[in-house]
Amino acid sequence: MNSLAPANPSNPLPTATSADVALLLEGTYPFVQGGVSSWVHNLILGFPEIRFAAVFLGSKPADYQGIRYSLPKNLVHLEVHYLQNDRERKPTAPSKGDPEVFRDVKAMHDAFLHHPSVMGGMGGTETPGGAHGHGGAHGHESGHEGPAGRGHGGGPHSGGDAFSKAVGHLIHGRLKEEHFLDSRESWEMITAYYRERSTDPSFLDYFWTVRSMHEPVWTLARIARGLIPVRCYHSASTGYAGFLGSLLSRVREKPFILSEHGLYTKERKIDLLHSSWIPDAGRPAAGGAPEGNYIRQLWIRFFEVLGRTAYDSADPIVSLYEGIRRQQVETGAREERTLCVPNGIKLDRFGPLRNMQSIPPKPVFALIGRIVPIKDVKTYIRAMRTVCQRIPGAEGWLVGPGEEDSRYFDECKALAEALGLKDSVRFLGFQDVAKILPQVGVLILSSISEALPLTLLEGFAAGVPAVATDVGSCRQLIEGRQGDEADLAIGAAGRVVDIADSTSLAEAIIGLFTDQEEWTSARTAALARVDRFYSERRMLDSYAAIYQKALGAVGDQG
Amino acid sequence: MAGIGFEIRKLLDRDTFLGSFRAYAYAGVIGSGPWILSFLGILLIHLLGRRLGIPTRLITQFQTSVTYVIAFSLIGSGAVTLAFTRYASDRIYENRPERLAPAFLGALVLVIGVGGLAGSAFALLAFPGQSPVYRLLMAMAFTVMNGVWLATSLLSGLKKYLPLVGLFFVGYALVVTVSLSLRRLGLEGLLAGFLLGHFAMLIGMILLILDRFPSPGVALAFDFLRRKNRYPMLLLTGLVYNLAIWADKMYFWFSPILGQPIIGPLRSSLIYDIPIFLSYIATLPGMAVFLVRMETDFVRQYDRFYNAVRGGASLDRIAEAKQDMIDTIRLGILEIAKIQGLGVLFAMMWGPAMLRWLGISQLYLHLLYIDVVAAGLQVVFLGICNVLFYLDKRRKVFALSALLLATNFLFTRASAILGVEFYGYGFAAALLLSVLVGLAILDRDLHDLEFRTFMGQS
Repeated sequence: MNSLAPANPSNPLPTATSADVALLLEGTYPFVQGGVSSWVHNLILGFPEIRFAAVFLGSKPADYQGIRYSLPKNLVHLEVHYLQNDRERKPTAPSKGDPEVFRDVKAMHDAFLHHPSVMGGMGGTETPGGAHGHGGAHGHESGHEGPAGRGHGGGPHSGGDAFSKAVGHLIHGRLKEEHFLDSRESWEMITAYYRERSTDPSFLDYFWTVRSMHEPVWTLARIARGLIPVRCYHSASTGYAGFLGSLLSRVREKPFILSEHGLYTKERKIDLLHSSWIPDAGRPAAGGAPEGNYIRQLWIRFFEVLGRTAYDSADPIVSLYEGIRRQQVETGAREERTLCVPNGIKLDRFGPLRNMQSIPPKPVFALIGRIVPIKDVKTYIRAMRTVCQRIPGAEGWLVGPGEEDSRYFDECKALAEALGLKDSVRFLGFQDVAKILPQVGVLILSSISEALPLTLLEGFAAGVPAVATDVGSCRQLIEGRQGDEADLAIGAAGRVVDIADSTSLAEAIIGLFTDQEEWTSARTAALARVDRFYSERRMLDSYAAIYQKALGAVGDQG
Repeated sequence: MAGIGFEIRKLLDRDTFLGSFRAYAYAGVIGSGPWILSFLGILLIHLLGRRLGIPTRLITQFQTSVTYVIAFSLIGSGAVTLAFTRYASDRIYENRPERLAPAFLGALVLVIGVGGLAGSAFALLAFPGQSPVYRLLMAMAFTVMNGVWLATSLLSGLKKYLPLVGLFFVGYALVVTVSLSLRRLGLEGLLAGFLLGHFAMLIGMILLILDRFPSPGVALAFDFLRRKNRYPMLLLTGLVYNLAIWADKMYFWFSPILGQPIIGPLRSSLIYDIPIFLSYIATLPGMAVFLVRMETDFVRQYDRFYNAVRGGASLDRIAEAKQDMIDTIRLGILEIAKIQGLGVLFAMMWGPAMLRWLGISQLYLHLLYIDVVAAGLQVVFLGICNVLFYLDKRRKVFALSALLLATNFLFTRASAILGVEFYGYGFAAALLLSVLVGLAILDRDLHDLEFRTFMGQS
């Protein structure tokens, strides 16, 4: 693993004057390790004939420790940008905004506000009036457009036209940041929206929320203006990266591919509901429930709108599994543009492990992943207490780094100790999974949220059945995809339990491990499923088709 | 999970949002109000002195000498006083009152040192015909007065009006009684009384400040001179403002026709000075209204406005608070106008008798009337500058002061050329113009207040 400092002049980032595909990566590859980053890395490696450019969007330099991957040769161009604006601005004289530009910006915001799918997640706080009642019809209209006709000029979706206009102003410098910050037109618009909409009385909070959420927009516009010419854009999330993709695709009229692993907007919403920095304490008018806080709603809607802009411009909209795809459609993605491409693993790396496995299996029950709250490691540890009592010599292995949330890591260690599992539950830290898997009897996944966990697939390839919580695509991986007879016919590769239920988890582990017959058939199903449906080759083939279409759709690069 | 989302956007604490925006504990100009009180003392000596049979020539010499001491100490200390006022306001805003006394003593040392040197040099060189005692007394009086204005501005900024007025009362009681009892010693005796009274006043003010703002450990501090605490615009404004107020008087003093030499290089214009002194005394009720309306009511509304902004009030509530603030300003200006209107009426009723009593020709009656109007406008002008200081429009106060300086000089010159019936109109017209421009500026800035408060910040 390389550890290059991003700004280190002795290790300059690769640059090129053009490329085939520009990957738009928010807070991920190559500076952050994780599922999405590995996927990006493998995608680049999987298409050596395609010249990739990557645009990394980070918060601020201090949040990243350098490049965590050895960059593939066909990653010919890498740009690093930070969206958090720390520079001090001196108070300036009011600038003159173009009233016409602001009219278009207002039209865009009104379109966002009145769009039914954007409103869908708003908890009914908006009251659509008669003036925009027609929006409902638009949202579900499925005007079939070819890939070349996407987005620009506004399809049947309301907001498309207004958005394109406003984006044009933004990119062509008619809507400058100082117009947003200093102009009277901007002030009039902000105060008008505040009066019209804000249910939180604090104008100060409203004003600064609006300011801070819009600030990255001009950074993104700068990035969009400066990016080298490519033949298509590919974002690994909605959010700011997705918004950038939608800017680029509209302005440069190039295809835009969106691949979502998790649902960015939903993750933001969860973060927002748990965030303590939103000032709502002690202000009764702000509402009791966290969702009732208008500032939160504002942020949530902002991310929903960012998501919408990406969905409106992207084709195809790729997800990892059916559950995500359905939610994409619910939040505004057009059904006919969506498709599922599950993650795949390298069978040539993990496949041979199945021959090194000890059969009958050793009573080793491993959880492979970062020690963070979302993995709900504590439920796993609690379940291991029962498992250790009932299965002689049972061991629980925790394979994964604990630095990300050291407090949680310490709590987990303390819990294991308190439950008398000091010797049987082992914190192994970061390990080579290929060396671990042949020794594992059952793979455990106790997460409260997952997308399509690669560790399950890696375990399957090595012949290790799993017990997983019913999150993300776990049920699909273990039991087979609903509606796919061939997949279902393979049978169960383990068991699925409810989240945060250590008793059921323990029972499932014990049941699966002690019933030799079930374990053997689960092993067989695991091997068959991963070989047939979840190979990296299969994933790359799907993307080969997607790229071929996108790169072929517009002749020469420009 | 991809994405940085809004963890990039943790909101900072509110003071950071507001950038340079802040509320001022107090503004600067009002410090120059109480000097009007000193005219009362001078006039008393004038009247009582004549009763007691002091020769008019001696009274005139005394009056001119102390008028110069007052005028030039105001101008000289004006720069430091205004800048120091801002320093003190900043410390109060930071809730560090213990920093006030050491900085005050530091500023006092500076003002007295520089003022003392300049005053001594002038007194030594400019009065070859006068006794060494006169020169010494003049130098000392100038030095002490510089300190008095500095302390006055701090105390009035801190709203210690009652003790301040009390100290002025005691000080001038001393000035009048000591001067008159030493009248046999001639000009030097009168000056000694003047010096003694003000010296006592200064000591009283210093003790009051040290008592109210104890600062354990630190005796002297000069951090108000540091770059970040320095406001060059304020230094300049202090100088220009005080020059502007005195420009018309100086014009008359140094005009070869209108002024006459009194003592050494000091000249005066008896016909112009006495009506002006009288009309400044007539502004005392106006000043009182100014203090109550501007420094008390306005500041309360001003605090409410800024608390509304900082405390997360609604935009309507913020606009209401602003409107209340505007209403207070309107009311204040209106009341000053009313009171000064009364002043004009009194001047019309008793003016002729006053002039007779003071031995001034009735020809100058209209000068007294117009001066009463002008002095009233000066109080309004003071009020406008004060509000602008609260809104941190330092450049605009400077511009207004510069406008007043220029117009006061030009219009006074024009009025002097036009003839005796126009005397005083130059001063009044300059103030009227400056007040109107000031009101227009204030109107615009207040109208825009929310916009400027929020937008354009960092």
